[in-house]
Amino acid sequence: MNNLYDALEICLREIERGASIEAVLLRYPDLADELRPILEASVDAANSAVPLPSETVIQRNRAKVLQQAAQMRDAKAKSSHRTWFVTLRRLAVTLTVLIVLSVSGTGLVRASSATVPGDNLYPVKRTWEDVLVAFTFNVQQRDALEVEHENERLQELQELFAEGRSAKVDFNGSIKSQNGNLWLVSNISVMISDQTELRGQGIGVGRAVRVKGTTQGNDNVVLAERIELLSAGAKLPDSDDEPELQQEKHEDPAQQFEDNSNSGKGSEEAQTVEESKTPESESDNTDESVQDGSNHTNPESDSDSNSNDSHDDSNDNSGSTSNDESSHNSTDPSGGGSSYDNSGGDD
Amino acid sequence: MPSFNERQALDGLQRLESQAISAIYDQYFSEVYRYVRYRINDNRTAEDIASDVFVRLLEAAQKRQGPQSSLKGWLIATASHAVNDHLRRQYRRPEEALSDAIPDGRPSIHSEVDLRERNRMVQSAYAQLTPEQQHVLALRFGQGYSLEETAALLKKNINAVKALQFRALASLQRQIGEVSHE
Repeated sequence: MNNLYDALEICLREIERGASIEAVLLRYPDLADELRPILEASVDAANSAVPLPSETVIQRNRAKVLQQAAQMRDAKAKSSHRTWFVTLRRLAVTLTVLIVLSVSGTGLVRASSATVPGDNLYPVKRTWEDVLVAFTFNVQQRDALEVEHENERLQELQELFAEGRSAKVDFNGSIKSQNGNLWLVSNISVMISDQTELRGQGIGVGRAVRVKGTTQGNDNVVLAERIELLSAGAKLPDSDDEPELQQEKHEDPAQQFEDNSNSGKGSEEAQTVEESKTPESESDNTDESVQDGSNHTNPESDSDSNSNDSHDDSNDNSGSTSNDESSHNSTDPSGGGSSYDNSGGDD
Repeated sequence: MPSFNERQALDGLQRLESQAISAIYDQYFSEVYRYVRYRINDNRTAEDIASDVFVRLLEAAQKRQGPQSSLKGWLIATASHAVNDHLRRQYRRPEEALSDAIPDGRPSIHSEVDLRERNRMVQSAYAQLTPEQQHVLALRFGQGYSLEETAALLKKNINAVKALQFRALASLQRQIGEVSHE
């Protein structure tokens, strides 16, 4: 087949130089029958060639194209003059919007700071906490911030108990005791029911967990919907460092919580050997209790003399946060380029 | 006439310089017009499409989507697309089907009736080819480009163009046969 195509090309070149069809076919007698109609068609195709355009046509369209170019130049010049004004105007609008947003946003955040679960502005508070964490790049500061937020969760629970309100809550803590269906998690009484979902293997005393549930206003107890085992390095509240705060808070609400709290602390003291504290509450205790819990010690911080450092290091290394319900979605806007449908271009 | 410097012209084109645009137009308008006119049997339409190709060149250059190297290749390819678009629109309007009119500049005296008839048949047959077949015949026989130049413009290798032109001519010959029997 290639021979046929090659023969055709050779014949076409000969014909272009003035040779007749019959003359060129003499070179390819075996292909002559096949090539003849093709060559005749090529002569027809060549005869259909049109002459070059007249000078009138050239000048007429030349003017048209140059006029179009002049219009484009003018539009471009006007556009560049406008660019400064547009840029300045955009800048002014952007600054105004930023100022308004920062003023109103700050006010909103400030207003939300005293809210507790169930309040309308509470989601703003949690979102703002997430934003603060996300924009805190110093690891130690971020860890401290996360612990502070976990402390805030416990503070909110105390306020809910004090007001006798029922609300959906979630908090991190370590299990201090498990008395039947009543557990003590970071000094908060947690009621376990048949509907409570336990996530993770080996949930027990000393383990760090995340509790999700509903406060039972009058009973000072959280009815657990889900208890989830936290990974090593998850941030826990340092509630045990502030026993006076807990006690002070527990005096006001119903007696039952006070009993639980006191009995919790009592049993905590009694069960020092078997219980594990939250990492920051363990400064008085042994390292083993930390390792029995959710934290794994960093080989570099294996020294017995510095259990607090051990905790800090393990947190530093994990880098994970316990607030698994908050998410930061970032959308990556994609810009679509315009295409020139009919242009051939260099594609 | 000063020699045409394509690189310089392309640079000037980006800045919409009249001198560069004039140079490009003078260099290529006739070729573009001839190509379009070969494929479309109407002088006025061919003129409009050819000048529109240059307007598109200006627009593309402004958007920095214009040719980077081969100006001629870009212009012929754009002309080919513009012709295809025109033909597609024409096929959607059957009442404006291909004209049988003898184009300007063609022999029209009584003694050349046979030639006119032959041209009419060839044009009708040519219109039945695929856009790619029309394109390769327009380049090789309408423009008189060499096989190598045609291959470069089509961005195909030479053997592929040889096969394509063979099929295009075979198809043209077959269509001429069918038109002549109608």
